[in-house]
Amino acid sequence: MFVLPPPPRYPLNGQYGAGGINPLVPAIETNNSLSNPTGPEWQFLVGEGTYVLKEDLHLATPPPHPSEAPIINPNPLSTAPQPASAGTKVSLLSLDGRSNPSMVFKNPLAFVGNGNSSSIQEHPSESRLSAESKFSSEDKLSTSISDAPATSVTLGSAPAFGEGNAFLVPVPLKDGNKRRKPKNNMTKSNSSFISRVIVDESLNRKLTDRPADGLFAFANINRAFQWIDLSSATKQDYLTKILFTKAHCLCHDVNLITRSSSHIDIIMGFSTGEIIWWEPISQRYTRLNKNGIINSTPVSEITWIPGSENLFLAAHMDGSLVVYDKEKDDAQFNPEDEASGVPNGTDGENDTASKTKGTKIQVVKSVHSKNQKTNPVAAWKLSNQRINAFAFSPDNRHLAVGSEDGTLRIIDYLKEELLDLFYSYYGSLTCVCWSPDAKYVLTGGQDDLISIWSVADSALVARCQGHQSWVSSVAFDPWRCDDRNYRFGSVGEDGRLCLWDFNVGMLHRPRALSVRHRGSISSRYTALQRAETSTTAASHLRSNSNLETEDDEEDTVSHPVEPRARIPILPPVLNKNIDTHPACWLDFTEDAIITSCKSGHIRTWNRPGIEPIPGSAQKSG
Amino acid sequence: MAAFFNKIKGGSTASGNQTAKDNAAAKKRDEQIILEMTPLEKMLRNAGPLREDGSDRFYGFENFGNTCYCNSIVQALFYSDLFRNSVINYPSLSPSDTPDGTRPRVNVSIRPPMQPTPPNPPNGKQKGLSSSQVIKQRQAINAGMPPPGQGPVRPEDKPDTPEYKKKQAMLKGPILELAQENTNAYGMDECTFTGLKDIFLALIESQTRTGVLSPQRFLEIFKRDNEMFRNSMHQDAHEFYGLVLNDVIANVEANAHKFKAQLENQQNGLAQSVENALGSAMAKHTNGVTTPGTGWVHDIFEGVLTSETKCLTCETGSQRDETFLDLSIDLEEHSSVTSCLRKFSDEEMLCERNKFHCDHCGGLQEAEKRMKVKRLPKVLTLHLKRFKYTEDYSRLQKLFHRVVYPYHLRMFNTTDEAEDPDRLYELYAVVVHIGGNAYHGHYVSIIKTQDRGWVLFDDEMVEPVDKHFVRNFFGEKPGMATAYVLFYQETTFEKVREEQEREGMEDIKLASQAASSAQEDDDKSPKASTQLKRQATFSQRATVDHEELGKLARTNTSPEQALSSPPIPALANHPIPEVPVTTTNSTSEPVEVVKSKEDKKREKKEREAAEKAEKQAERAEKLAEKEREKQAKIEEKKRQEERIKNLQQARKSESDELQKALEESKKLAKEENAKKRESGSSSPFGLLDRSKRGSKSMAKRSFSFFHREKGDNSHFTNGETNGEHSEGKDSLKDRLSSSLGRKKSTNILA
Repeated sequence: MFVLPPPPRYPLNGQYGAGGINPLVPAIETNNSLSNPTGPEWQFLVGEGTYVLKEDLHLATPPPHPSEAPIINPNPLSTAPQPASAGTKVSLLSLDGRSNPSMVFKNPLAFVGNGNSSSIQEHPSESRLSAESKFSSEDKLSTSISDAPATSVTLGSAPAFGEGNAFLVPVPLKDGNKRRKPKNNMTKSNSSFISRVIVDESLNRKLTDRPADGLFAFANINRAFQWIDLSSATKQDYLTKILFTKAHCLCHDVNLITRSSSHIDIIMGFSTGEIIWWEPISQRYTRLNKNGIINSTPVSEITWIPGSENLFLAAHMDGSLVVYDKEKDDAQFNPEDEASGVPNGTDGENDTASKTKGTKIQVVKSVHSKNQKTNPVAAWKLSNQRINAFAFSPDNRHLAVGSEDGTLRIIDYLKEELLDLFYSYYGSLTCVCWSPDAKYVLTGGQDDLISIWSVADSALVARCQGHQSWVSSVAFDPWRCDDRNYRFGSVGEDGRLCLWDFNVGMLHRPRALSVRHRGSISSRYTALQRAETSTTAASHLRSNSNLETEDDEEDTVSHPVEPRARIPILPPVLNKNIDTHPACWLDFTEDAIITSCKSGHIRTWNRPGIEPIPGSAQKSG
Repeated sequence: MAAFFNKIKGGSTASGNQTAKDNAAAKKRDEQIILEMTPLEKMLRNAGPLREDGSDRFYGFENFGNTCYCNSIVQALFYSDLFRNSVINYPSLSPSDTPDGTRPRVNVSIRPPMQPTPPNPPNGKQKGLSSSQVIKQRQAINAGMPPPGQGPVRPEDKPDTPEYKKKQAMLKGPILELAQENTNAYGMDECTFTGLKDIFLALIESQTRTGVLSPQRFLEIFKRDNEMFRNSMHQDAHEFYGLVLNDVIANVEANAHKFKAQLENQQNGLAQSVENALGSAMAKHTNGVTTPGTGWVHDIFEGVLTSETKCLTCETGSQRDETFLDLSIDLEEHSSVTSCLRKFSDEEMLCERNKFHCDHCGGLQEAEKRMKVKRLPKVLTLHLKRFKYTEDYSRLQKLFHRVVYPYHLRMFNTTDEAEDPDRLYELYAVVVHIGGNAYHGHYVSIIKTQDRGWVLFDDEMVEPVDKHFVRNFFGEKPGMATAYVLFYQETTFEKVREEQEREGMEDIKLASQAASSAQEDDDKSPKASTQLKRQATFSQRATVDHEELGKLARTNTSPEQALSSPPIPALANHPIPEVPVTTTNSTSEPVEVVKSKEDKKREKKEREAAEKAEKQAERAEKLAEKEREKQAKIEEKKRQEERIKNLQQARKSESDELQKALEESKKLAKEENAKKRESGSSSPFGLLDRSKRGSKSMAKRSFSFFHREKGDNSHFTNGETNGEHSEGKDSLKDRLSSSLGRKKSTNILA
């Protein structure tokens, strides 16, 4: 199949640029559209049954802002800096706690390094009920969980972030039931950052009439951000659409602690480095890191800190992780070295050496710092390489970070310490996620592989090969995981959805799966890190890694790349093309798998046995 | 010139001033157009002594009409250190070849640079142009509309286009012409190899880092030996690559044989047999090449593929080795190079008309064949098969499949016995094909140089680019530029880590710029904020130009940046519009207060000036950053820090003075409202002037004093109003200084 180039328009000037207008970006504003395609290409069969596409919601790509000059004959060799942009990602929110089973596993199962051994054998569905009942009773209250340690039981017994720092205790709310709202009114703002806000006229009615367990979706596309009710029959009519003048929203997250039917806290990270805290029900927002005052590089990933009402973590493209408080103001940021709390800390050589080797994270400002009047609350510099993704472990103790240089860092963020440093096979790491029991970390990267890392063993346990291009997003399916079997899914730039099953037992076999045993060669490799390739044809020897390294620290933290021959390769149980464009995000809900692609298609694939909505065509078999 | 100077000094009548200045301005513009510093030159400004291995030369290659296929490939070959050094060192020189201990130099003639043709034919009646009108004209030219009274604008006269940049390169020179026959080419007959070696040597021996090389002789020889390339039609770069390598191999082997034969003829008796014995002992090469020192091409580029065929009838497997100099891989939409390579090694069914003749069974049988890599080369060349015949084989079509390629690579499809199957490769060159079909197109190459980062080589034009530029050619972007040949060279994990450390700092700068290019103005009133920002960026540029080394202290953490330059808001404040080079500018302000016509005009001029300058400065900034990082040394750092302090103070006091002067001029300007003409040359050039001259802030300050002393009101027109502080002042000074200063500076410096 040929992919034809955009229609050529032979230029009057220059030898380049016969390209014409970019076909992906429309010239005029269009609306979202909803469709229900049917047919064999819209369903797939896995062990547990057939997943069928329920609907395809296509978000409209906004046209360029009127102030932007139309690009008629773009010079393909133009070296002008281009702003960052990301594909469509979706944050899902259910106001009802039941739909979020990742909570389930925090409670009953044994955690890594955690002495909480209660009810290990509890059946997942039982514990779900217990969590559910806990949640639904607390759901409507707004003061349920704050930064105070005592109430973090529901989320595992990890201490709260910043616990012990008296300066971080949030000012108690005067009216216990009311949440603080952001400062500015979005619809009435005259900020030039926000171009337009379009609110559905019947928003209030829609909010009261909708089912309590319905899903909301928040999605970014190009320079727009949309709030959509996935439980509505007319979901293509967004509840709110925000159009930014130039900035693209790259990432976002919803706070699961503070959500209620009258209050939702959303944070959005932008290509300008700025962050917006938005409360959609009151339509208010606050702009943080304005003009990049704290960090001027784009925000590649943003998440609320688990258990926190106010604190969230943003990864900037200069390799920094910055903790912000949604209610604090911006200020000029003076880096504080961890050693002395004074700028230009005095630790000198040792720290620099280990920092350059990447075995320590540079705590530019500690969460325990006394200086907590303004943002940032904490700031860590991992390296100078772009951070592509990070994820908090379900037990709230660890943070896994994937970077552009192919490194995976496991960090104890409460202690602000680097625990492990892993490397991809090659290429950068693009996505990270934790298993629901916090035992395994998955990374996807530019080597087309998904790597499974065991946290307890500090080792790579398997490489999953199935994608035909770079992996964009990985997620576990908690409804299909138990303590021995794990199901996870991934999407990639090949437009494919892959589902994988792995089994703990299978991984512990000495030479698992399809490893080909060539003793003479594989035994020579203990670590690829030190293997020098021969420069003359005559020498076949590999310098067997001298594990006595100059820097002792490195041994415990940094782990060399494992050769291919020693790691099991896992094939997918499903490898399905779900889109003609690169896919960028996926997630699992109780009823479906939801995927999104770069061109704005959000597709919901019903799980086997889920009835399609009445009115849509029934599929046989 | 002196008379002109006097005129300025004398502050003569307005109209007299105007015409004189305008003519001078036009002339200045010509000179300025020619003498603009390219981003490449800016990057190389403080590069130190020339290197002997040639790795720090950045020459463009002249295009004689569709010879870009040659240019892009030869550039990629030159920057492979392995290949370049091997070419230089072969054949090894005997004492007779090096009479004075050094290699004989290549016969290079330096072509005198072209005479600059003025973009505007001299026309006495031409009205003087104000700087903003010049800018407008420049934009118009870019967009294809000629200025009034001209014929159609030639592509190479539109500034900021590739054609223009190439013309600039040719004007600047030096142009190394390799047009002569090389009769005593290293003891060999003249052939492709010697032609290539001449090119490499010419570059290494050149006395400047930049320029243009004209590979005429090389192409003549190559075409002589390769009939298909004898026309001047578009050719395929990958085909050229294969032929060049094969020619080199053949030439080298032929030479080795000849050498051996000569030896045999010269010597006799015992001496000869000893020679032979020695020769044959030395000659054992695993590649099977039996003469010493000639296996290097194979060593670098050649790999071995094993095709394993399994007969489906009798199940016997047979293997056959074949060598390859590159891998041609089929492409799939939305795939990666990794995946395409994997498919390359997928099983192929040999059946129907394609049956396999099995020796065991006898006769044609169905079989399963797969190709795996048995030996990995040091330089892995991947040819993306973008040109495919249509189904009816009537013509070649170009595939625009999006195929992503990572910066590093390991091969999955190695055989079990392969040595070092996890060898790590790094991408070091990408040859890009631009065009809609296979018959017409342009090739450029983007190459990672040893320590100058990635550089774009587009025939005569050479421009540094950032690392992420390489990702623009996956295939889906408008502009029809797709990666066509990828060069990966082997590397080690350690080297990669080191490189990433070095790169990291640059990446941060780029990320900041990406952020700022998406930045919007803040919530202040539109007018004030843009002006304030413009002020900021101008001052910032001053910083870049004057203390590019000094800024290193600031790049460590961006907050520090904001700290150390109080008058300048954070970097991300640039209202840099995201416009590519060829379009008209527009501001980022959707809301505008209704102003008087004059005010609007003035504003627009300033805006345009600012934007033009911003773009230039952006690049300057970027490159200044690159350069800076690479030269970081502790002593320098200290020196820089001191300088920063000094310059900051200087700047601060400067801006204070500017403010005062500006307030003065505001009043004067109001009186001058009627006069729209701007004196002197356009400010963007002025700014560039400033950048060229480096830290001449002191000199400029003296001009401003000079200004005020003379109380020359006519210079204070257009642009000082509306509170544009240093920006207006700067452009003013520049205007003045460019008309004055250049001469003055030559007086001072000469």
